Amino acid sequence: MSHTSFQPPGARVDLETDYVVVGSGAGGATAAVTLARGGERVAVVEAGPWRDPADYPQSVYGTMRDMLDVWGSNFTRGRAYWPIVQGSLVGGSTVINSAICVRTPADIFEQWRHDHGIGGPALADAFGRIQDDLERELGAEDVPPPSLGRHNLLAIAGAAALRYESHPTRRYVRGCAGDGQCLQGCRGDRKQSLNRTFIPEVVTRSGSLVSCAPVKRIVFEGARAVGVTGRFRHPRTRARGGVFSVRARKGVVVAASVTQSPVLLMRSGVRSRALGKGFRAHPGAPVFGSYDDPVDMNKGATQGWSSTAYRESPGFKLETLSLPLDMLSGRLAGAGPLLMDRLAEFRHLAMWVQACRAESVGEVGIGWNGRPVVRYTLSRDDMLRFREGLYRVAQTHVAAGARAVLPSIHGMPYRLAPDEIDRLKDAPLDPRAYVGILSHLFGGCTMGKDPARSVCDERGRVRDYDGLFVADASLIPTNLGVNPQHTIMALARYCAEEILARGA
Amino acid sequence: MGQGPRGEASLIWLIKFAMLTMMPRTDALPGISDTDLDGFLRRLRADADPLYWLGLVVGAIVFALSPLLTVGVPLPAFWLPHRALDRHAERLVSHPLYVLRQAVFLVRLSAGMCWGADTAVRARFALAPYGPDPGTFRE
Repeated sequence: MSHTSFQPPGARVDLETDYVVVGSGAGGATAAVTLARGGERVAVVEAGPWRDPADYPQSVYGTMRDMLDVWGSNFTRGRAYWPIVQGSLVGGSTVINSAICVRTPADIFEQWRHDHGIGGPALADAFGRIQDDLERELGAEDVPPPSLGRHNLLAIAGAAALRYESHPTRRYVRGCAGDGQCLQGCRGDRKQSLNRTFIPEVVTRSGSLVSCAPVKRIVFEGARAVGVTGRFRHPRTRARGGVFSVRARKGVVVAASVTQSPVLLMRSGVRSRALGKGFRAHPGAPVFGSYDDPVDMNKGATQGWSSTAYRESPGFKLETLSLPLDMLSGRLAGAGPLLMDRLAEFRHLAMWVQACRAESVGEVGIGWNGRPVVRYTLSRDDMLRFREGLYRVAQTHVAAGARAVLPSIHGMPYRLAPDEIDRLKDAPLDPRAYVGILSHLFGGCTMGKDPARSVCDERGRVRDYDGLFVADASLIPTNLGVNPQHTIMALARYCAEEILARGA
Repeated sequence: MGQGPRGEASLIWLIKFAMLTMMPRTDALPGISDTDLDGFLRRLRADADPLYWLGLVVGAIVFALSPLLTVGVPLPAFWLPHRALDRHAERLVSHPLYVLRQAVFLVRLSAGMCWGADTAVRARFALAPYGPDPGTFRE
């Protein structure tokens, strides 16, 4: 077992293994642990550092510095600049998300079969078995009532008053203490993020982890992938360090994220007309409710409530999402004394969000600085869906007893009284009017039957190459309409099981 | 960004000026001037991704040079009288031109990170003080 972290310039690290897995998030860690349990020697190579709960930051500043890719400053190029939030550390975004565990909806397999020629009942059965196992291994639980906090209880009450389905969120968290710090990493170590679970298991099963190690390119011999190489990068100073090289006897599994996986394949010379295409996301935005009594939204589970009642039609998901005080100024409109007056209301605010099941398709490419560039603009149909989701959030606030809602939409009043929320039905349809965010990403190395429209087959094998696989959300050819971690992990395990069964 | 120490100091002064205007002290709340803003900016300069820092600098410059577009006064923001400056800040963050209001987004966000992490500010909202951000990792 071994872990190799940053090495200074002049140092050189050479490893040989059966499989090298690039990336240690939901896809990479799950693929790696599955291969390791199958008896293979696995090396995981991760661009970010390995942080334990004692290393986790407390503030938003520390989170941006220590947890997020490029300080969270990656954003879409298109009609509007919306940030793309991704973790960059061992465990990937599983360290900084809410570990929400939602099974892959049955209609997704039918959509994959119909639109992409893959999947169908056999894949649905395999996912069912795998997701049973994952929930058992990682201990999926509904948020326990004492950990809900008032902001989640209000949402439950609002949805009940409006008579739509909603529930306490099911998450990979054991015994949530309701600290309200999911997004900064769970210092109480209750969240089963993969830096605490699968990655240590890989290492104890004679595997290796190389951290602080962004992969520059995949190494090929002819059409066969035989390893990866790159240079260490210090997580604090960003200084370049020594060279690392991992030779893989059997195969290379790429799971570097929806933005990084296609870019790594491009940099490595992989040719596919579909590479970088098919980018999709769940664009989201919040509506605040202002309540007479303090809500104290940072007490209780960060995302303790959700509803998929509108997933199929019109196409959005509703969730609570508590915001730290040191992030609030980026969300409330205004500046100067006006902004301070609005911030004074913090204890009385609850923030709930809609995540839109958008059908718009974007593209991932390489920017001038070698970083991923995402081109993505929401269509009018998606904006209609997006707006309707926000209206539903506002209605839920009013049903829960809010004295006002704060929609955070440019061109709309800052504050709407309960009897004014119908004005949201006429809110602008220009994405520039919203402070949106993309948190669930799909595509870029999509799987499918048609080589002209997909990079990989349904086992994650990159077409026309030997020993080269993809095992992360970049494989997913459609939007899911639910939080994707459970689907990404199931897909990665499915691909890894196929590798074990059929060989590379 | 390649400028010398004086250029660097000027840029930091501009960022600080924009942040102080964005989050002033009021009767109800401490302002960013009541926090360790200088220390925050020193840490930010050392830690931030270069693109993030560049975005912040651009935002501060836009803030300083755009009063003509907000309050119709052909002066840099730091020469505006107090009330006009407040009006400039408000109008800039809600300006019809998307690029203008987007340009100052990072200034507002970063100011909030400094202000909202301050122990005295947090106490006003019944929030526990933050401990340190250790910045450590497994070596």
